[in-house]
Amino acid sequence: MISKDEIRHLGWLSRLELTDSELDRYATQIDEIISYFDKLDNVSLTGSDPARSIKKVSELRNDNIHVFEGDPLEFSKNRKDGFVKGPRMV
Amino acid sequence: MPNHLYRLTADQVASGIKNRDFSAQEYISQILERIEKIDLKINAFVAVDKQGAAEKARSIDKRIHDGEHTGGLAGVALGIKDNICTKGLKTTCASKMLEGYVPPYDATVIKKLKENDAIIVGKLNLDEFAMGSTTEYSKYGPTRNPWNINYVAGGSSGGSAASVAALECAMSLGSDTGGSVRCPASFCSVVGLKPTYGCVSRSGLISYSNSLEQIGPVGKTVSDVVMLMNAIAGTDENDQTTRTTAIETIPNTMSLDRIPKYRLHQNNRNIRVGLVKELVEGADPAVSKCIYSAVDLFSRSDCKCEDTSMKSIEYALASYYTIAMAEASSNLARYDNIRYGFDSNPEEYEWNTYFAKVRNNFGEEVKRRIIIGSYVLSAGYYGKYYLKAQKAREMIKQEVKSLFEKYDVLIAPTMPILPFKFGEKIDDPLKMYQIDIDTVVANLAGIPAISIPVGFSDCLPVGLQIMANEMEEQTLFDVASSFESIVDIHKSPEI
Amino acid sequence: MVEVKIGLEIHCQLTGLQSKLFCSCQCDYRGKAPNTNICPICSGLPGTLPLLNQRAVDFASMISLALGCKVPDKVMFYRKNYFYPDLPKNFQITQYNAYGITSIGVEGRVDYGIKSTKIRRVQLEEDPGRLIYDTSFYTLIDYNRAGVSLVEIVTEPDFAEPKDVRMFLNKITSIIEHLGVGDTKLDGSVRCDVNVSLEGGKRVEIKNVGSFRDVEKALGYEITRQKTMSVRDIEIKSETRHWDEARKVTKQSRAKEEEEDYRYFPEPDIPTIVLGNEFLSSLKAKMPELPDERKIRFLREYELSDHVAQVLIDNKELADFFESTVKIYSSSPNEIANWIVSDLLGFIDDSKREEGSLFSGLRIEAKHMAELVKMIDQNIINRNIAKMILGQITKTGEMPSYVLDKMNASLIDSKAIISEAIESIFNSEKSAVRDAKQNPNAANFLLGKVMQLTGGRADPKIALNLIKTKLAVLE
Repeated sequence: MISKDEIRHLGWLSRLELTDSELDRYATQIDEIISYFDKLDNVSLTGSDPARSIKKVSELRNDNIHVFEGDPLEFSKNRKDGFVKGPRMV
Repeated sequence: MPNHLYRLTADQVASGIKNRDFSAQEYISQILERIEKIDLKINAFVAVDKQGAAEKARSIDKRIHDGEHTGGLAGVALGIKDNICTKGLKTTCASKMLEGYVPPYDATVIKKLKENDAIIVGKLNLDEFAMGSTTEYSKYGPTRNPWNINYVAGGSSGGSAASVAALECAMSLGSDTGGSVRCPASFCSVVGLKPTYGCVSRSGLISYSNSLEQIGPVGKTVSDVVMLMNAIAGTDENDQTTRTTAIETIPNTMSLDRIPKYRLHQNNRNIRVGLVKELVEGADPAVSKCIYSAVDLFSRSDCKCEDTSMKSIEYALASYYTIAMAEASSNLARYDNIRYGFDSNPEEYEWNTYFAKVRNNFGEEVKRRIIIGSYVLSAGYYGKYYLKAQKAREMIKQEVKSLFEKYDVLIAPTMPILPFKFGEKIDDPLKMYQIDIDTVVANLAGIPAISIPVGFSDCLPVGLQIMANEMEEQTLFDVASSFESIVDIHKSPEI
Repeated sequence: MVEVKIGLEIHCQLTGLQSKLFCSCQCDYRGKAPNTNICPICSGLPGTLPLLNQRAVDFASMISLALGCKVPDKVMFYRKNYFYPDLPKNFQITQYNAYGITSIGVEGRVDYGIKSTKIRRVQLEEDPGRLIYDTSFYTLIDYNRAGVSLVEIVTEPDFAEPKDVRMFLNKITSIIEHLGVGDTKLDGSVRCDVNVSLEGGKRVEIKNVGSFRDVEKALGYEITRQKTMSVRDIEIKSETRHWDEARKVTKQSRAKEEEEDYRYFPEPDIPTIVLGNEFLSSLKAKMPELPDERKIRFLREYELSDHVAQVLIDNKELADFFESTVKIYSSSPNEIANWIVSDLLGFIDDSKREEGSLFSGLRIEAKHMAELVKMIDQNIINRNIAKMILGQITKTGEMPSYVLDKMNASLIDSKAIISEAIESIFNSEKSAVRDAKQNPNAANFLLGKVMQLTGGRADPKIALNLIKTKLAVLE
């Protein structure tokens, strides 16, 4: 059984400020979903991992400089002297 | 000027414009009119780029008039799912977290469409961050099924399928993580493809679950899907997971036209077809009846059709959702409203508080998936869930691989149920997840799968799903095209 | 005595690269206006994918080999998930070994002096952006650094003394410099986290010591702190502390609200990279000479003493200076090495020495040193004059012969010429000569006069002897 506290902790890990009613609802729903996932218990851990895309080093990006034209942060709203303004750290 | 140009297939539009039967501007103005007239009912578009589309049409007409070269999709109206980045055009993933976001770059597929002179008419509705199977989880409200506007269009690429079905654009791009192109294609009675993993660049596709998803084409016919696939497929230096062995475009030395990578020929000679028993039998009888009768018609031609079984399907959904949510929980961490997002001022907030506060603006389904994703990756549960899901995924891959030693294609319903009414499943997330059972196998195994219309039940569309081995898109197209001509159910909804 | 265990996590930027780890933005972010060295990838825009730099893989593999690590056939990247405003994606792409060895290097060993330390792993990862604490209301973020390649080197807790750590770090610096993969002199290009525990005690981590120079100091403080606590029977908590550079103490970091759980999982956007034998053997063929090899060569080729060779090797700049000098003037490598190690180093102030940027501000080049030693060898100047000239060169960058001419300091050692000068002084300074006859110390006054007359060129030893002899025979 997944508790409200566990959901709150997971919310913290993901920086989601969940309301009490959300915590209640999620606890029930997520418990049901995770219980469904429990069927994975029957899968053996000895099997191999899925084959991923594979590349040789030579197929990777060459170490060349390409300057991006334009400002990737053109539309960000909170700017000061070229910096991006963020929340305080303490 | 001919009326109803908006009804034409992409094939017909491209040749009509090239042959000067009508101009790109004439065609586009009809398309824009059509959107204006009916999208209030359908809600497929989240943004329409009237000005951009009109300008592009004008320049294509000028080039044709001047005898200059134009691309293979010249003038064809395309809609783009709103999780694919379009430079200068808002791309929001139907989320408040990307409200007003204008990408400074084009997704690779968009660059390719532009090179082919396609006309991008607008951005299409989806479930927030492509998480959903109905397009009900959109901040813009749900997309309605053109066959019955009280029913869901499917999802998450609801806008992509509904817009094509409702003749608002000739073709569209969606993305398919666990069925997100095929599900709405099935529900809206159009053709939708999930390509082999690594066949189409994901650069510019806003990630939901990177190891599962592919951008996929939606069209009225298999032929249109082939045409669109030829434009977007290929190795991309901006996506290191694209296959280097992907079929490359071969430049034709005689003209600037490119030789298509995939061709359209109907071929079902000696095709070995496996009907996935678990999926057909697990479907709603209304759906399986349609599937059986289509297969019956098909098997009268020269091909071998038999029942087969896929045992690992048992773990498919649990494996799929575990992996998808795990990746999603990480992918969606970047939305902290610092560099992009809705208007908010971070001043005076302690950073943890600020992040938690702004991030609570994700929709309910997205938050649910982030939390579960976090759970299955957390220190105590990684082995129990994420690792096991990966093992299950490999098991499924292996079984699929062995099935393709016996069969050229596997057939199953696209969706186990008919389209349903709004709100019917929204309060029961697990039930909602379970309708993806037929589609997730292709994503887990990385194989191509296509959904084609095969009939109606109670006036609601039924789609048939064909899966082929990895990189066997051509086989898929051959078989799909044969089905298409045998079943022959092409019609458009009355809206 | 209580045993101390020290382990290190060293972060070193691969500044030898042109571009960042996952995009084509310039690796050299220093001195640029905020957020002008960024693109959609390194600023974490939606839809972007990491594009792994192949030379970063080369460099990290070279470092692994140089640290005696095993380099696996296949390497993978992982996501380390945690929120922080300097992380554009709110996860860091790094490497991880908990589910099989996939980091670029493991199980290495580095010898330094007579000791050695085991290397647990080497991994390739991205640097975050930079935060500037402007006011107490907000933070300013600059993403120019975000995505620069970092190599993390993690040691086993094998060190017992801060000075061993110091020697080890010198070695690491020298290896990085010799490989040409990074310039350790650049501000912030090398950083170090340190963990310290007393025998049987809890592990305390000291985060982000900004330079190698401070590592020894931070360790010294922390060991004393822990020992004091232990003597007083105060429990040492397992905690993270940070080094307060201004006050030279370690301070407890603000306790996190809740424990972090990094939820590592394989980065799905980066394929598994196959290295394989072909790659490794071609890399080995390309590897430049490493400090250990170079030292052996110095001992063999130039017959330097072990100590002198070590001092040179510990700093690539010094070793390079030595070899460039020998190239110009090959007759006396030992003399050159000694001049560098015992004299030239004296002109380098300690702070620069700590930073490793030895020659900044000094105008001396190899050609100067070569000519200087040659002039000594040819007896044109003696050691004292040479030292004076050396001091002059470091300031002005003039050739020694020019300095010498200017000083007009060619040494007069001809007794005849010196005697002539003495004769003339004895004639003009009659009373001083009388004093000197009574009081031998007053002879120095006469020497001064002789030196004055010869423009300082007379060999003072010879001159003094001649004066004394002359005084002795004087009636």
